[in-house]
Amino acid sequence: MERIDGTGARSVQKTPEEEATALESIQFTDEIHRLISAPSDNASSFTALLEMPPTQAVELLHSPESANLISNDTFKPPHMEDFKGRLHFPTNIALVERAARFSVFAGEGSNNTNIEKNSVETALNDSSANLKKAVKSEPAETESSQPLVSDPTVETKSAKRKEREKKAKGSAKKSKTAANESSDDAEKLPYVHVRARRGQATDSHSLAERARREKINARMKLLQELVPGCSKISGTALVLDEIINHVQSLQRQVEFLSMRLAAVNPRIDFSFDSILTAEGASLMDSNFPSIVTPLMWPEAQVSGNRQPYQQQWHFDTLQQQVWGREEVCHNYITPENSLLSYDSSANSATLHPNQLKMEL
Amino acid sequence: MASVISNPVGNMNSDRIKRKKKRKSLIKESQQNQSQNWKSEAQQQIYSSKLIQALSQVSLNSPSPSAPRGGRAVREAADRVLAVAAKGRTRWSRAILTSRIKLKFRKRKRARASPAVTAALVTGSNRAKKSRVSILRLKSKSLPAVQRKVKVLGGLVPGCRKQPLPVILEEATDYIAALEMQVRAMSALAELLSGGSAGSSSSAPPPSS
Repeated sequence: MERIDGTGARSVQKTPEEEATALESIQFTDEIHRLISAPSDNASSFTALLEMPPTQAVELLHSPESANLISNDTFKPPHMEDFKGRLHFPTNIALVERAARFSVFAGEGSNNTNIEKNSVETALNDSSANLKKAVKSEPAETESSQPLVSDPTVETKSAKRKEREKKAKGSAKKSKTAANESSDDAEKLPYVHVRARRGQATDSHSLAERARREKINARMKLLQELVPGCSKISGTALVLDEIINHVQSLQRQVEFLSMRLAAVNPRIDFSFDSILTAEGASLMDSNFPSIVTPLMWPEAQVSGNRQPYQQQWHFDTLQQQVWGREEVCHNYITPENSLLSYDSSANSATLHPNQLKMEL
Repeated sequence: MASVISNPVGNMNSDRIKRKKKRKSLIKESQQNQSQNWKSEAQQQIYSSKLIQALSQVSLNSPSPSAPRGGRAVREAADRVLAVAAKGRTRWSRAILTSRIKLKFRKRKRARASPAVTAALVTGSNRAKKSRVSILRLKSKSLPAVQRKVKVLGGLVPGCRKQPLPVILEEATDYIAALEMQVRAMSALAELLSGGSAGSSSSAPPPSS
């Protein structure tokens, strides 16, 4: 059936979508009830926006609703009576169906968060907020479940509903972007203030672009919080500059630290197994007490000092095996210093040739 | 007609509702599990322990099979350990882990191809990169400044050179957090490893002697 010029192509798909819509609407019966109680001025404007005669709107309502009502008896009475008098409800359903055409999955989650932040306008905002709460988890699905056949139809409805609601809400704050679309809207609709969103709804490209932009903006916000000093800066290019600088500085720090560790490493003898088994006990008991104290680290080498060692390393969760390895590792870090004071020449002799063995 | 439609619809409806609820709960769980907490102390400890194990395996004086030497080897080992700590959930972590294999693959390719050609390719690509950078600095060449910077950021984050913007932003978020954790852990490790020896060289005589 003919609804709107722009929806001509979509009318073919309407009948299967109707059932899907019916399925959807069952889930949102609570929100639908609230929608019923929404102010009527919105209702009339919505129908005007749709450029549909009220009869067609009611028809729209009834066809999905009848399927709905038959399947779910409890909802029958309130729907039928309420909707006859109010035209905004069918428009919502119609909007949902129309919005389904412009399904844009990505960014619905970000849309939700943005929407909830921007709720300023009319009571419609409350109802749409309720709708959004119900479908909050949907966006994640919509983002990931595109190839599925059955789900997209259901999810597009919710996604589109959110899109529509979001536009209705965000009109006050997004007047600038709405200005671009308002010129188009003025041609189609007498109402410009909120209907900027409606104008967007008819253009799938702008819908998709808006969703994409929302997604990108949400991620940029996260990044800004992560990078210090970025929250003050406004403007994508400058923020990106800061992010790039931060990443480069972090990578440089890692580079310097790795050079530092590499400088320390050659002094570490990693042949733990051989030396530990052969001379571990003797090393620990006889030699280290004399050398241990000047070093912060070898404080922990002796078994009696394991507590401060653990605290230094915060390795409470490590297993004993790893502990043993680290202890030996720390033991051998001191060879250069300890060699001078080592009594046993055997130890020093074994340490040098074994420096580069990899036993682990 | 309505009844005919409604019956299958009703059945499908309940199934869909069940599936949706299941999926909602699953997705909520997955969303909670998705990004790891790079700021947690536990994560840093895990990284530090794995790093020590990896560093002990790094051969410093005789890196016969692999090209990197000394500091570079430590840097790459640290990056690999970081990627392992990320459990491969992010693109950059997977790219880091597979980069070594790709490098070996490329090396074999170059070995098979003529050395002159490969040398020319390598130098050509390097030069092209440099010229591209210098050209990018001229505003006239690429007007969308944001896109330019996005490309630079994509080049910085491993594995994100050809990804679209939202992917790059997401990867960069996780990558920055992971890098900060890496810096914290490595600085603590370096302090402990070198701070002890530095202290000993200038410290007081042993108390028990």
